[in-house]
This record gives sequence, C-alpha cells and structure tokens, in this order.
Amino acid sequence: MNNKKIVIIDLEIGNVGSVKRAIHHFGYQTIVSNRHEDINSATHLILPGVGSFDEGMKKIHANRIKEILVEMVKIKNIPILGICLGMQLFATKGYENNKETNGLNIIPGLVKKLKNNTEFKLPHIGWNDVMFKKKNKIFKNILDNSDFYYIHSYEFICQDEVSIIGISNYYHNFTSVVNQNNIYGVQFHPEKSLEQGLQIIKNFLEIQYI
Amino acid sequence: MHKMENIHQIRYCKKCIIPETRPHTEIGEDGICSGCKYFDQRNNIDWDKRKSELQKIFNKYKNNNNNYDCIIPSSGGKDSTYQVLKVLEFGLKPLVITVTTDMLTPIGRKNIDNLKNKGIDCLEFSPNPVLRKKINKLTLSTVGDLTWTEEVAICCAVTRFSIKMGVPLIIWGENPENENGGPEQNSDFFDDIIQKHDDEWFETFRTNGLKSSDILDFWKKEGIKDIDLQPYTFPDKSEIQKNGTIGIFLGHYLPWDGHKNAEFSIKNGLTTYDKWVEGSIVNYENLDNYQMRVHDYFKFLKYGYDRVSDWSSLAIRRGRMSREEAVELSQTIGGKYPDTYLGKSLEEILDYVGLTKKEFDDVCYKFTNKKIFKKNSDGTLLHDNKGNLIKTNYDNIE
Amino acid sequence: MLKKRIIPTLLFKNNKLVKGINFNSWRTVGSIMQSVRIYKMRKVDELILLDISATNLNKKIDLDLINEVANECFMPLTFGGGVKTIEDISNILKSGADKVCINTASINNLKFIKEACKIFGSQAIVISVDYKKSEAIEIWSNSGQVKSDLVFEDYLKDLESIGVGEIILTSIDKDGTMEGYDIDTIIKVNKFLNIPIIASGGAGNFENMLDLLNSTNVSALAASSIYHFTNKTPLDIKKFLFTKKVPVRL
Repeated sequence: MNNKKIVIIDLEIGNVGSVKRAIHHFGYQTIVSNRHEDINSATHLILPGVGSFDEGMKKIHANRIKEILVEMVKIKNIPILGICLGMQLFATKGYENNKETNGLNIIPGLVKKLKNNTEFKLPHIGWNDVMFKKKNKIFKNILDNSDFYYIHSYEFICQDEVSIIGISNYYHNFTSVVNQNNIYGVQFHPEKSLEQGLQIIKNFLEIQYI
Repeated sequence: MHKMENIHQIRYCKKCIIPETRPHTEIGEDGICSGCKYFDQRNNIDWDKRKSELQKIFNKYKNNNNNYDCIIPSSGGKDSTYQVLKVLEFGLKPLVITVTTDMLTPIGRKNIDNLKNKGIDCLEFSPNPVLRKKINKLTLSTVGDLTWTEEVAICCAVTRFSIKMGVPLIIWGENPENENGGPEQNSDFFDDIIQKHDDEWFETFRTNGLKSSDILDFWKKEGIKDIDLQPYTFPDKSEIQKNGTIGIFLGHYLPWDGHKNAEFSIKNGLTTYDKWVEGSIVNYENLDNYQMRVHDYFKFLKYGYDRVSDWSSLAIRRGRMSREEAVELSQTIGGKYPDTYLGKSLEEILDYVGLTKKEFDDVCYKFTNKKIFKKNSDGTLLHDNKGNLIKTNYDNIE
Repeated sequence: MLKKRIIPTLLFKNNKLVKGINFNSWRTVGSIMQSVRIYKMRKVDELILLDISATNLNKKIDLDLINEVANECFMPLTFGGGVKTIEDISNILKSGADKVCINTASINNLKFIKEACKIFGSQAIVISVDYKKSEAIEIWSNSGQVKSDLVFEDYLKDLESIGVGEIILTSIDKDGTMEGYDIDTIIKVNKFLNIPIIASGGAGNFENMLDLLNSTNVSALAASSIYHFTNKTPLDIKKFLFTKKVPVRL
C-alpha cells in the first residue's frame, strides 16, 4: 500500500478532483503533476482528460511530457490508465475539430467521431454497459455487462483487435476498454461510475509490473 | 483544486441565537430570523377565534357511535401530557397512541404510565427492536440521522391506526415550522397540509427525504420484505381518504409554549430529570430515549446549533432570557461531545446501537460541517482539552 | 446499450433546499447536504444542483458547497446558477462538478457559450432552457422572471451549432405541478435537435414518464417535486420503466 507512487498526469484540462477522490477512497495517496521528476518515479500513472484531442496533445507538448510518458510506459513498463480523452490520446492519430493530430502512439489506432444519427445523438452521454471480450485483471470483481458512465463524441478505433478487451454499443459497437501489457484505457469515467467504476480503479492500482 | 475557505462566519439572528445554517430558518436583511418574526405575529392572532375553530372541529368529529373521538400521538412527555389533558378538558374521548422509543428510559416508562393513569385508553406499539436497531445504525452512518425510525414510526402507526380503528381525527402538538423558525409560509402551509394528512404531508414533514423503499433497496440482498418495513411505510392515500383521516396541530389553535406545557405536566405528575439533561438547559425534555443526545449532537455537527440554542431562543422570544445569557450558554453548555446522557455512558449507548467508539467518531467526522468549526494550523478540526469542537463564532461578528 | 437517465434536481436558494410551482411559491424542503447524502445512498444516475437565486441576487458561486457535494458522490454532478464568466466555469469544474449548467448568461450571448465549449469541451457545458407556452413558445430567463425575445427553435439550433453538449428543457407551466411532462414540445424539439435532451418539469406519475420515453428519444428525465412530496424515488421509477422494457440502469 505504502510503496505505490500514483501520479495523475496534469493536463490542466478537465477536473482531476474526482479521480483523486477515487484513489483516496482506497486509502492511497496520489499527486497531480506534469513534472518529469514525478512522472519518472511513479509506480502507476493515470492520464485523465476531458476536452478535445488536439487540445490534449497541445498540453502534452506544452509540458514536454510525450517522451517521458512513452519511455515510462513502453520501456519501463509502468502501468498506465487512460481515462476518456486520456485513453484516446494513446492513439496514433486523432481527427477532432477537423484536424489531424498525432497522438502518443502507444496503442496503434485512430480516434474518430462516433457514428450518429437522429436516434443516436452526440455526445454519447450516460450509463452504458460494457461487454467483456476477454478476462482481465482490470475486470476483477465486476460483473460482465455492468454499466459505466460515458461522456464523449469520439471513439478509439484500435488497430489490433487483440488489445480490445471491452466493448459497448451505441448505434454500433465501439471500443470501451483497451489493454496492451501495462497499458490500460477506458473510454468511460470510472471515477463517476459508482462502485463498479471504483473497482476498476482499485484493480488498476493493484497491478504491478516489473 | 479548490481549497476550502478556512474561516466562515456564522450569521445569527440578532434577536435570538438561531444560526442561518439551520435548514428551515431564514434571516432577513434586518437580521431577524423567521422564527422570531413569526412569534411576534402571534400577537396578532385572535386566539378566541382559533379556540372556537377548534371547538367546531371537535364538535364535527365527536363520535356518537361508541368509538373514540380522536387519536393523540403521545410519548408521555411534557407536550403529550399537556395535549392529552387539554383534549380531555374539551370533553373528548381520545385514543392515545404511544410508539415506544428505541431505548426507553425508566423515566420515559414512568411518564407513559403516569398519563395512562389519568384515565385514558392507550395503544402502545413497539416496532421490531432488532430490525429497528439495524435501521438506526444504517440511517446514522449513511445520512447522519439516528431518529428517522422514531419520527416515521410514530407517524405511520398513528395514521394506520386511524384507518384501522375508524378514528379520523389525529391531534398533533406543535407545528415545528411555527415554533422553531421555519419561514412563515411554511408554517401556514403546514397547518394546511397536515389537515390532508396524506403522503405529501408525510414526505415533506416527517421523513427528511428518506423513504422506507430506500431501506428496502439497501438491504435487498438480505431478504428484507415490505411487511418488515410496514411500521415505517405510510398507508396508501386512497385508504386515508376513504377513512377521512385528518390531522391538526393543537398549537395552531391554542398558544403553544413548551416551557408552560412542562409546568402544567409537572403539576400533573410528569417526572423530570433531577438536573438539566446533559447537553441542554432544561430538565423536562427528551427524557425517554437514551439516544437523543447523539441525535442532537449531529444537529450541532451539521448545522452548528442544538437544544441549547433552541431552548434559549424560545426563552428569549418570551422574555425569559437575555440574549447575552443565551450566547454564553450556547458556548458553555451547547455543542459538547455526548459522553453521557441521562447518566448512561456513550459506550453503553453505542453498544446498543452497534457501533464502536471509533466508528462513531468517524461518522461524526463525516457529517461535521467543517466550515463552521475552528481548525488547527494544519487544517484539521480543533478540539478543546475535553475533546469538544469549537465553532468559528458563537455570535455575530460586527 | 445506452440507458435512459433518471436524474433528481436539487434546487436551492440562500443555501436552503427549495421547491416551487411554476417557478413561484418557493418553499424550503430541507438541507442540501442531507438530500445529497440520500441520493448518494440511492446511487442515482446523476445529480443536478441549481442555485436558483444566484443570478437575480448576483451572488458569488458557492464553491465550497460544490466541493462538499462532489466529495460525497462518485456519480456525475452538474452545477448551475449564476454562471456568468469563463472563470466561473473553470472554478466550478475545479471544485468538483463534471458539468456546468448555464441559463441566463446564455441568452443573447452565444459568443460566451461558444468560447466555453471550446475551452472546456462540449461535454462540460449544459444549457438550461426554461419556457412557457402562449401563442408561441417563449423563452424565459432569470429563474422565470425575464421574458426573452429569442425564437425557441432558432435558439436551440444555435446552441447545437456552437457545440453545446446537452440541453435541459424545462416547462415552467408544468414545473412543480406533477401533472406530467410537456410531451408535445419535447417531441417537437427532439425532431430537430441532434444533441441530447434532458426533459424537466411536471414529473408526476409513471405512466406519463413511460409515455414520454416511448414517444421520443429523450436522453434523461429530470425531476424534483416528485421526490420531495411523494414516496417515489428515482429507483421506483426505474424499476417501473424496466418492467416496461425501457433501458435503465438498475
């Protein structure tokens, strides 16, 4: 419990308070930072985010954290959890606001607008169920088809199907949970999804990679 | 990340000492609270007219078919004793209904019997104490309310028996919105809606927002059924209407004064405590339930006022106490950690409720409105050398 | 699939929980934090908290309250009331709310809303539109005190085009009456609006809510009076809807 250093990466957009609270709920300490020395010494990284893809990447570049993030995650194998926009930033490229923006490229894929029509409006807001495609540590003690809270208009189209471990349906199926080794991403907001959401965070924090 | 402002000035009524933080109190631009304003308006009430309205109601509901004329909810306390004896003076035959408290004290039992011995029929109803304890522990830890079962059980039982026994008139005591400073419109409003005595009255007035279905859902995995929660479930509106059940506040028709009620009841055999009950400045209230001080303490933690503020404010309004004295009492007697009540230790009380002292302290902390209490330099709550919290201010800061 | 949300709205005035009828005759119904705790216990889908006196009294937004509420709840929180500037929105989000609800400040000021959507994202901006029906549908602001000259359909379409995430549509005529939602208007709006709508005003009985959800693709039902004055809880409503095959989270 005491040897974890949980760092919430501060992109200065959106509200990290709820994520902090969720972590405190389990008795862990956490810091919100975008400083290299903090990210460098983390045992767990969380990348939250609300906003647009290009804004998110702008903040990453502004704080010059792309390289260190990639290093921590790809070389040092530190567990990272991307939440909502945070998960989308893992992608190769994003196409929000009619711009093509390069992402972190730590899970190959593209971020594009969700399909929509008069029946299925955007943003996709509310509780939607996640269908587990694979058994995974992050789903421990959570029932398949549990509902989680979403609020987004874009989806992560994952290049490697093997990385898709959870999907949801809104007009069509879209990726809601990704995992590649130590890298986890959830499209929904676990910190806003009551006990099942908190369980996701707990499960993530219990993951250890050497 | 937002940092809580450390210093919050509590605003008090300039006349009494009720703070603005009290949920139903409004303090006007002139600095006077709604309770004081409403009390002043009582001078304009034509009490003779009100009394004759009461007589009309009594005439209407007097039963000539060998049944009771009315139902009076009663704890045997100073108000209930007054209510019952007053109603008897009007020549009515009441059915007194007592829903015994969770942790009935010997004084409480004595007073229930004292009232019975005045010559009345009394129906005593005790909800399943094993379940009740469980519910109390739940409501305390989730919503900081230890007496939900008490409020709700009295109300539901009384209404249910009104229907079952075909006695439509229920006579309550005081309109708390009137007495303790609810906004005036609430007071009149409550006088009106209690008459209907339907679910709107119950939901607005008695439940503090929590419903029996909440309890049912919370424990759905543990096999609790609807019938188990019947004591806390209000009867169906249609049954109430069919029976013609109505409720009235005696305090609407006769000028209400808790202190005078006590004097009256003491003359009529009410046993009081031998000194001021712990945490209050009277010896004649809340004598029947060991848990009451915990309940009051939570009011203090959440809103920064308690029985001391209530009683002294009532006394100020009636010219029986000065404001300076009230402020001092609120500081010397009010807001103290409830280590004993009616001689029983907190440990014993918590043992009954089913909490350890640590669990209790954690719950207290959870429901403390941190803004209104003094803090240490590190931001944690400040306690005096006896473990009591200290409010940021006990009177208005000019 | 996406579930229909059943959302309790908590209105407050001078820090007291209130409820009115047709935006009038406000009466105090309790304490904000107590209500929040009860909804927390109930694990509701979402919570909307509105300070209805803030704009008219030009009050400072109570960030401590938002912080306190957010600390209790691990469910989405929308906060509104007296929101006028970008800084207001930023402070509210930093204090712990997930979405900010704007009403009066949006009237005749789409530029502000557009900027807010750009800075904070569509997801964070909810516009509340209060209306009354007379010959045309009239939009009222300032907690129903000031009539605007905006054209109803045009205004809603403009909000959509500038990137607003969600609309709360409140019928002032129905509010507090518990006589049923204004289904006709909601159907009309849902046809031309491509962003999610939260219907508000008039929630009273289950059949009416079912009727609304069966008639049109509204995203959520907000309500207030029904939870204060009857024994119905959001879960009661959802249980009923579930038996009628409406997708809800139980």
